[in-house]
Amino acid sequence: MDYFVERFCDDPGAVALDQSIMLEGKPAVAGSKILEGFRAPFTAAVLEKLQAAGVPLAGYARSDEFGADDLADESDSLSALIGAVAQKQCRWAIGNDWSGRLRRQAARNGVCYLHPTYGTVSRYGLVAAVCSMDQIGVAAAAPADCFALLQKIAGCDPRDGAMYADTEYAFAPHKNPIKIGIPANVLSAATAAAQKDLRDFAALFESVECQLPHFSLLPQVQYILSAAEFSHNINRYDGIKFGHRAANFRGLDDLYRGTRTEGFGEPVKLAAMAGAMALSQEYYLTWYDKAMRIRRLLKDALDFAQYDVLVLPNAVEGDKYTATALYALATLAGLPSLSVPFGKTGIQLLAAPRNENVLLAAAERGMTR
Amino acid sequence: MNITPYEAMAKLSLPDDQRERLAAQMRRLADSFAALEAADTENVEPLVTVLPLRNVLREDEARQIVSRETLLRGAPEQYDGYFQVPKTIE
Repeated sequence: MDYFVERFCDDPGAVALDQSIMLEGKPAVAGSKILEGFRAPFTAAVLEKLQAAGVPLAGYARSDEFGADDLADESDSLSALIGAVAQKQCRWAIGNDWSGRLRRQAARNGVCYLHPTYGTVSRYGLVAAVCSMDQIGVAAAAPADCFALLQKIAGCDPRDGAMYADTEYAFAPHKNPIKIGIPANVLSAATAAAQKDLRDFAALFESVECQLPHFSLLPQVQYILSAAEFSHNINRYDGIKFGHRAANFRGLDDLYRGTRTEGFGEPVKLAAMAGAMALSQEYYLTWYDKAMRIRRLLKDALDFAQYDVLVLPNAVEGDKYTATALYALATLAGLPSLSVPFGKTGIQLLAAPRNENVLLAAAERGMTR
Repeated sequence: MNITPYEAMAKLSLPDDQRERLAAQMRRLADSFAALEAADTENVEPLVTVLPLRNVLREDEARQIVSRETLLRGAPEQYDGYFQVPKTIE
């Protein structure tokens, strides 16, 4: 299966790109019809860095529209970025996994996905989706491969206003003993196979049981906050200055509505409306403001003094929406996480902000035994 | 659930079958959001950014990031160095 919409080279050591990462002169469509015909006016910071480091670009992999996950599609078709790495059509893939779809699929398909600490990789030239959660991450066959590429693309860029100051990063496995935190309330919600995988992984380390309060509210908090930010970000797509424009309309409002109705897919339309609703006078306090407060409670409940790595299962009982809880924690708290294949379902490791090295050590130790 | 007000806010004009499907999904989401009420958030500050940063404003200096010509290349229509917009007032 060919996962690419445009292939630049067949080098097996190349990087596949999400269609939301801009390369000057190339179509920059972010997987959306609304950006049809739009070509990138400049090159994204990550691609400038990869080109400077001599890493070949494999091309654009077919991408989900603005990285949105279709929660109504329980069939969960394979993301092209993960498929391309799994099928060895490239060595790496980079994308913006604000929804958790890439992390969920990676670990189930023999691929590792490293979601770095929020503010580590420049988003200059990345089509914005959810600003407080957007972060470019890396998929590859092995944890060390993910880190090798992250090292090349990480570092402060004045063109992204929300970054840590470090201009360079050097990753190496953390040498100290590692204590694993096992969230009991999350484990009990996992499928039987995922519980077994998590227990088998944790058995390789010293571990401590913990609780993650409000875990069951993560899908709601994630959806409300991401839809609100997303709906705001996509207001720029109005058919005037770039991209698709409806052919027939009567008046300005009709032009906007026709353009956006033709240009957006269903998951994007749903998020646009749910986001508008969450930010409306009627629901702002009960949904948006409330979700921002719970976001703080979720972040503050993490206690990385008790454990070095928090381990989460990669499958819970329930539908796809319920399962978004597993990836929303790292996204909402800005934590680094590493999803790795392990057992039947895979597992996800989370660490304190900027403590990526402990993830590398834990994953390597767990995967080689 | 009547989603027409949100459809208007999001500047969409959904075909009937799509409006029906999305209204059902909106209702499921809204029902699930009711669970937030149980969390005690009294005296909890909303979390706006996860970064331990404070806002620092740079000098407001004009810079050219992309040329006018490059930007206009992405426009559906352009004329004489400007975005061309359709007639919108009857």
